[in-house]
Amino acid sequence: MAMIEVENLSKEFSQPKNEIKTLKVLDNISFQVKDGEFIAIFGPNGCGKTTLLNILSGIEKSTSGRALINQKNPTKSKVGFVFQNYNESMLPWRTVSGNIELALEIQGINEKEKNQIVGKLLKKVGLFEHKDKYFYELSGGMKQLTAICRAFAYNPELLLMDEPFSSLDYSTSRRMELELLDIWKETKKTTLFVSHDIDEAIFLADKVIVLSQRPAKIKGVVEVKLPRPRKLDILSSKDFFDIRNKILRLFEYEK
Amino acid sequence: MKNKKVYYVIAPLIILMIWAILSNLKIISPLFLSTPQAVFSEIIDLFVSGEIIPDILFTLYRTFLGFIIACLIGIPIGLLMGYSDRIYYSLEFVVEFFRSIPATALFPIFLLFFGIGDQSKIALTAWTAGLVLIVHSMYGVHLGKELRIKSAKTMRMSGFVLFQKIIFPEALPQIFSGMRIAVSLSLVIVIVTEMFIGTNVGLGHRIIDAQLIYRISEMYAAILITGVLGFLINKGFIFTEKRVVHWKGK
Repeated sequence: MAMIEVENLSKEFSQPKNEIKTLKVLDNISFQVKDGEFIAIFGPNGCGKTTLLNILSGIEKSTSGRALINQKNPTKSKVGFVFQNYNESMLPWRTVSGNIELALEIQGINEKEKNQIVGKLLKKVGLFEHKDKYFYELSGGMKQLTAICRAFAYNPELLLMDEPFSSLDYSTSRRMELELLDIWKETKKTTLFVSHDIDEAIFLADKVIVLSQRPAKIKGVVEVKLPRPRKLDILSSKDFFDIRNKILRLFEYEK
Repeated sequence: MKNKKVYYVIAPLIILMIWAILSNLKIISPLFLSTPQAVFSEIIDLFVSGEIIPDILFTLYRTFLGFIIACLIGIPIGLLMGYSDRIYYSLEFVVEFFRSIPATALFPIFLLFFGIGDQSKIALTAWTAGLVLIVHSMYGVHLGKELRIKSAKTMRMSGFVLFQKIIFPEALPQIFSGMRIAVSLSLVIVIVTEMFIGTNVGLGHRIIDAQLIYRISEMYAAILITGVLGFLINKGFIFTEKRVVHWKGK
């Protein structure tokens, strides 16, 4: 059985100024994800990627079709979410470790275990020496790393990431991608990573789901058969270019 | 900027100089304006004799008691209004209406209900400061980032836990701004009500009494002491605010 099953999922929003016509955002989306897969969702801005993640996280409902996580309704599953805007999703009044602990204290995990989990994650990403700093004292990259640590500390069934690195500069986002893969490979959490950066999507994922302009339809699913662990030099390999071209060709047919 | 402290004292020194010139040269009659030296020696006398101490303590007591009552009632109401749309729409008009009535216009009603003693002064202070705190606490919740709540909801936080861990700390900077305004306003209300009726002690009483019996330098002395008191309360609040809501604006 697949871990995530999305079947004929559609989403329409009613428009406040137009009572007859609704805004269709997702159009008949179907795909499956196996346990432990890293999936990138690639598509143009404003196509409905975020709506898809919202539905899978259980905070929004689909208009028709269904989405199941481990055979359950998304509202009943444990989902980790990393947002693009770390400044507005994390807690500036808490320290770095305090932010990560949030995910643990709401699950009633005891003090000792909490410190252990947080310490281990922070050491892994090299933020341990900053653990007692307040969140706002960190750089953008460090802030998002903290957000990623929080999502992993939560120990979700499914990890959703909504363009987490797109507000960081080029070299920082490349570094973040390496850090992410490094944490990810230990737990192999099933991950859906939304991106509008084609290189990022290929570099991270096992499969890239390519979406069309709004209303989003699936234009194709491209397998990324690049070996892991991945290093930045694969960005210039021939295999990488072939995959990249395959995805770009999917877009050419759109016109 | 270099020599920031120099700029800090320039304007006060100029005002002091103008004051000294106007009063010492009797450009303004001593019946209206005392000389700075007379006022400062009056201040020293008031403290040396200890006469002013009960006035300061009583004014502070009324101000802070009224303010604390306002916090205990106003902040929870404001938070609830921010949290629940139903409560917000039920109370919005009422709060806005009462806020539009100048507090001092209500003093006669408070005198009627609470008598001429301390109770009416403290009650009016609590009322005025409380309304400010309601509005600020409510905005604190409304101005909170939606994404923070959405993010908490993806972790299935809800109800009291969501309020305690996300909504309340998010509202704290606004609540603190409200408290700072409310405490200054409390002092204003206390001073005004002390001038009216029913008390023999308090800075407001000292000021109006000195004026009535033409002890003009004592009046200026009491006003200056009140000003310094207000200034210190405000500075104390800013000091606390920076430490408690250290993340504000960052």
